[in-house]
Amino acid sequence: MAKRTTILKVSGLSRAFGPNTIFERFNLEVRTGEAIALTGRNGAGKSTLLRCLVGADHPDDGSVEVCGNAMNETSPEIRRDVATVIDDLDFFPDLSVVEHLDLLARAHGIADPDEVVDEVLEEVQLVPQSGQLPGTLSSGQRRRLALATAFVRPRKLLILDEPEQRLDTEGVRWLAQRLKSERQKGLAVVFASHEPELVESVATRVIQLGAARG
Amino acid sequence: MSSLEAGADDFAYEQPPEPKPLTPANPRELKRLMKDWRAGRATRNVLQAMSDAYVAVFAAVMIGAMVVNVILKAQRTVAQCTSATCLSARAILPWAAFTATIAVALAVSRLFGPVLASAAEGFWLLDAPVSRSKLLRSRLVGAIIAAFLGGAIVGGLISALTGSGLIEVLVWAGATALSAASSVAFAAAQQGIERHRLTHLATYLFGVLAIGALFSVVGVAAGWFSLGLSDNLGIELGLIMIAASVLVLLVSALPAALRLGQIRRTRLLTGGALVSGISGAFYALDIGLARDIVVERRAIERGHVHPRRGKGLGLEALVWREWQRLWRFPQPLLVLAATIVVPYAADALGMSVLTPVFAALALFGSTIPLLNGLRVLTRTGGLARCLPFSLARIKVASIAVPAILAGIWALATTPAYLGFGDGAVDRPVPEAFLTAVATAAAGLLAAVRWTQAKGVDFGAPMVASQAGAFPPGLVTNLFRGFDVCIITTAPLLLGLSPWWSLGIAAIAAAILLNSMDAETLRARQAEQQKQLAAQRKQRADAAAATKQRKR
Repeated sequence: MAKRTTILKVSGLSRAFGPNTIFERFNLEVRTGEAIALTGRNGAGKSTLLRCLVGADHPDDGSVEVCGNAMNETSPEIRRDVATVIDDLDFFPDLSVVEHLDLLARAHGIADPDEVVDEVLEEVQLVPQSGQLPGTLSSGQRRRLALATAFVRPRKLLILDEPEQRLDTEGVRWLAQRLKSERQKGLAVVFASHEPELVESVATRVIQLGAARG
Repeated sequence: MSSLEAGADDFAYEQPPEPKPLTPANPRELKRLMKDWRAGRATRNVLQAMSDAYVAVFAAVMIGAMVVNVILKAQRTVAQCTSATCLSARAILPWAAFTATIAVALAVSRLFGPVLASAAEGFWLLDAPVSRSKLLRSRLVGAIIAAFLGGAIVGGLISALTGSGLIEVLVWAGATALSAASSVAFAAAQQGIERHRLTHLATYLFGVLAIGALFSVVGVAAGWFSLGLSDNLGIELGLIMIAASVLVLLVSALPAALRLGQIRRTRLLTGGALVSGISGAFYALDIGLARDIVVERRAIERGHVHPRRGKGLGLEALVWREWQRLWRFPQPLLVLAATIVVPYAADALGMSVLTPVFAALALFGSTIPLLNGLRVLTRTGGLARCLPFSLARIKVASIAVPAILAGIWALATTPAYLGFGDGAVDRPVPEAFLTAVATAAAGLLAAVRWTQAKGVDFGAPMVASQAGAFPPGLVTNLFRGFDVCIITTAPLLLGLSPWWSLGIAAIAAAILLNSMDAETLRARQAEQQKQLAAQRKQRADAAAATKQRKR
């Protein structure tokens, strides 16, 4: 059995908004092949924690390391290793679905990206929409495109904030299968979810976050 | 027992009276109801609003008087110029304004409708059994009147600023106003039958004519050709245009009014949603957001494209995509090409000293649409996070294509700085080239600064004013880009070497294109403070441990 290396190390992470402490001295270590599910009610701090993990938000205290590199959102090394789907993903309004995926694959150095792009498009069921501009997609299709951007590129760690959002039942089932296979391939996955089916079938560890404390 | 668990016996109902038969509401009743809903929630009465508006009205009158004074002074100054270049600009620029106004009126009409309805009207009125034509008639008339007024201002202003006499100014103001009104009526007539191809074609045709008119100003000024226009020809042609515009207005307004009932509900509401989105953005003085809404809307109108394979790997792929996206929506190139005329026109009109400022401002405005990629990549950071490069490198790749185009623009405008017009500032070729490059750099960097603007942070510390507290970003966002233009071209304005401007441009580029943006600086500052706090804690712990050991 291959030795499991640490992909993500979170030490003493704290974040508060004014008098409200969202989380305090939070520690986490995620190794290859592990999938961590963050659960908890609205306002428990799942999205804030994930935003701190990807560098989109700055914690008040503590540190985040990805593959031994201290978290810096603009660091190319971190961006190369971490694929994220959180709420701030934007698309070029004048670039079609397939062109977005082609651009991301090429940017990550995949010389002939057609095969992987077609495969991912097929998987997220966006083949008929491949020539559409993002503004014309439904919210569910936009979510699928956002997920496709994470799957079309090389990655060591997947960070997803409620990836099941706006997906239909079949879509949630596909996502569960896909994340499970990602984990089995040796990738590390951290995701927040309210979907018990997804959490049960994918997660190797479940972390229940508490509600905001006064 | 809770009320939910109560049995049927616990309640005694009186038999309700027989309901009166319902009659459909008429538009006036529905409008009164809407007015009641809106006015009923007002927090101030008319007098209070009027007293609040006093300062605004007074300020508007003051600023208006100042603007009119400046225009009159400029008109008197330019009217004294009797050189061939001034005369040609006086004869041709009103034509350029005339055709450009038609193009803009058609494009804006097509974007918004021109007939539109708000979401509230869509909910309350469009589903009601009332005549849609009657409801929308005032909208059509309103749009035509707005275009008329806008056209009159543009036509009159351009004609006055080129030094035309009063009658000529009035004729061109009337011609441009009527042409704008007839364009809106024409677009409305097309909207009624859901056909937009003619409007689209006419937009391009008049856009190209406007650019052609601008180029002919330069051609005459440079002495490349002569149009041989007599003094009275402007008035005569203007009157002919008035007659033609009135004809088009009548021919278009009638079918437009008759087809109002055929306009689909969704088409009316999308126009209304666009207006409310844009007005919301303008209310927050977030012009970038307003532009984003328009860009998104245009893309939705296009809907589908023929996908094209990318090229290259790494950052090269991003540059290639920028190029492909520009060819997919090439309209901004036309505007960029049109701005080449600006330095020549300024020189022709005897404003050589101000030429770099005008040219940089024109390039600034025309380069913004070329930076859509940079806008998306810096707006939220989500897409940039998907790319394995530093933010600085992403920014450089995103502006590579616009930078090449700005370079070509600099080459094309270099002759304008050689001093070809009457009374122009003469420069040797190397200095003219450097001046053109500095001007292009100023315009490009200003557009980069404008594009990277974040929305106003209403959570930031506020500045107190007589009108209440407001975040400083609300004001500074208005000047974004203009500041770079002015600061970079200031040495040229003061007659200093263009190397000074290039030096300032280099510093501006280092700030704008590196990751030295405000957000990163704040993050670095926070990180340093955190490290400092950790060191302090470490020292305090060590001191406490030493004290403990001593005890």
